[in-house]
Amino acid sequence: MPVALRYGLLVAAVLVAALMSLTIGQRTDVGLHNVLQLLFVDDGSLARSAVVDLRLPRTLVAALVGVNLGLAGLALQAVTRNSLASESVLGINQGAALGVAIAAVMPSLMIVSFDVMAIIGAMLAGLVTFSIAGGLSGRLDSMRLILAGVTVGAFSFAFVRFAFTLEDNISRLVLSWTAADISSSTYGQALPLIWWALGGVAVSAFMAHSFNLLALGDGASQGLGVDPRRLRLMGAGLAAILTGASVAAAGPVMFVGLVMPHLCRLWFGNNHRLLVPAVALGGAGLVLLADVISKLVRFPYETPLGIICALIGAPYFLYATLRARNMS
Amino acid sequence: MSGATASSPRLNPALSRSIAIVAVLVVAVIVAAMWSISVGAVPIRTEVIINTLFNLDGEQQTYIVMRSRVPRTLIALLAGGALALSGAIIQGVIRNPLASPNIIGINSGAALFALGMVLFFPKVPETWMPLAACIGGIAAASIVMFVSHVRSLTVIHLALVGVAVGFVFESGVDYLLVVNTDRETSAAMIWLTGSLWGRTWAHVGMSWLPLLALSAVALVLSYRLDLVSLGEGVATGLGLNVPRQRLLLLFVATLLASVAVAVVGVMGFIGLMAPHIARRMVGGAHRLMLPTSALVGMLLVVLADAMGRAINPPLEISAGILAALIGAPFFIYIMVTTASERDE
Repeated sequence: MPVALRYGLLVAAVLVAALMSLTIGQRTDVGLHNVLQLLFVDDGSLARSAVVDLRLPRTLVAALVGVNLGLAGLALQAVTRNSLASESVLGINQGAALGVAIAAVMPSLMIVSFDVMAIIGAMLAGLVTFSIAGGLSGRLDSMRLILAGVTVGAFSFAFVRFAFTLEDNISRLVLSWTAADISSSTYGQALPLIWWALGGVAVSAFMAHSFNLLALGDGASQGLGVDPRRLRLMGAGLAAILTGASVAAAGPVMFVGLVMPHLCRLWFGNNHRLLVPAVALGGAGLVLLADVISKLVRFPYETPLGIICALIGAPYFLYATLRARNMS
Repeated sequence: MSGATASSPRLNPALSRSIAIVAVLVVAVIVAAMWSISVGAVPIRTEVIINTLFNLDGEQQTYIVMRSRVPRTLIALLAGGALALSGAIIQGVIRNPLASPNIIGINSGAALFALGMVLFFPKVPETWMPLAACIGGIAAASIVMFVSHVRSLTVIHLALVGVAVGFVFESGVDYLLVVNTDRETSAAMIWLTGSLWGRTWAHVGMSWLPLLALSAVALVLSYRLDLVSLGEGVATGLGLNVPRQRLLLLFVATLLASVAVAVVGVMGFIGLMAPHIARRMVGGAHRLMLPTSALVGMLLVVLADAMGRAINPPLEISAGILAALIGAPFFIYIMVTTASERDE
């Protein structure tokens, strides 16, 4: 299948998923027949308001979180040369959640916005994971990387739960936030994500060639003019920033960064120049699909997005583990 | 290292040093246990505790000491020792210092089954939760061992499969918690954070025998653990049926951790940290390292539980969380400084 056709199919899938995400909801008077009309023509009706004010920001958040997390996972898999790496497996997602939790519980510590707190948390968690895996001495051990990431993630999440036990009256909110419930998303959450996502795509595309060279090995890439340590730092930093921005907006959505790069590699091969747009589109499609499922599973009740992603992603991780037989 | 010299007629310095360390640990555990009995919503003086425990003349506090503090402290000792032993065995078998009972899915499996029991069988009394948790832990670990045995995976893959199975069970826990927000899940939630709140003699009664028996088995197996942790090639060369021994050791570790998790809830970091501390103190020979590790685990859990009660009485902070809070910086320090030492 030519590459253009594959991209075309992906775009079509994203559009269909977005349309479904906009169409499905508790109001049955909004359907496929009138959703586009409601979206573009302001007739002042409640149905229009349901589409534009309630569903559209949510659909946007789902799609953009998907783009960010997918690209974060791609960057991490590239710099670690490990197809099981991703922000949730390496503890970066949970670190970002810890940053947000600390900001929420102790407002006096919050000198910067939620986004930045999440990014700081993500970076610290990533730094600890990479240091434990030997990243500082330049020799990354795959096994240690995964185990360290799982441990850092578990530590961070224990602290997230603990931080919230300090504050009794927000416990309901917390449960829905740690499960990444995006049903009450606003434009205030969606709009900053657009910039993060655009920046993420641009920087990833810029780094794609270096990622390709790094895949040849540290020595070879050095010979071809790429400093592996610097690239590793930049790739992990990019992943931490994209993850932090997503977690601040939607809560910790797990496994998107693992599943999408993995699937895209099967379909598009290992050239990162092709993978960056594919993963961005695929990530958006996957989270939109998860959003649709989250509305349908217990209709008319909703199931938080994070739960759906975990229920899809965890078995996929198991599958990917059994597939990855030739880990170094 | 130090344990292997026992055959020499005179005690060498390394061994006597290790014995001194173990003696100090034993004293520390006793002191910590006394402190744990004395702190809480009603502070109790040491002399009153001793009067009560040994039924001496003078002031006694039978109700609080015997009904609440002593069983709780005993549970902390039993569970701390069991979790640490289990962690030490698993680290030896997987041959990776980052392994712990957590990574073969025990905690997540136990959590899922305990929560499932509370939600789906509300009529079953809560005292059955330990049993459900124990079955869950064994189920998760069995899946891991079965998959890796059938596909004859290396230990590295066994650990990865364990992580993956843990994730699967955990997503199930999250799903149950979120879907049942209106139902009574608070008992399960407290249990999930690893608390020793409200432990009674019933918990001691159901756990002491299996835990002590399993600990004894673990100590008997310590020599085989030494061999297995030399690596597959060497151990096979020395005449060991490595896959079978590995399975046996993991089975013992699973039972230890499952029973412990069943009575104290998810306390994931003890099994990770205690073996490290023990290894630093007495070296890697398991004959000495296993008991040391158990003592360190006891000390950690008893201290964490006592501190949780001492910080802000009458409120309590979960022992599991305190242990993680205290242990995390230390753990990160050890792991980062040893990152480049190990070749594998």
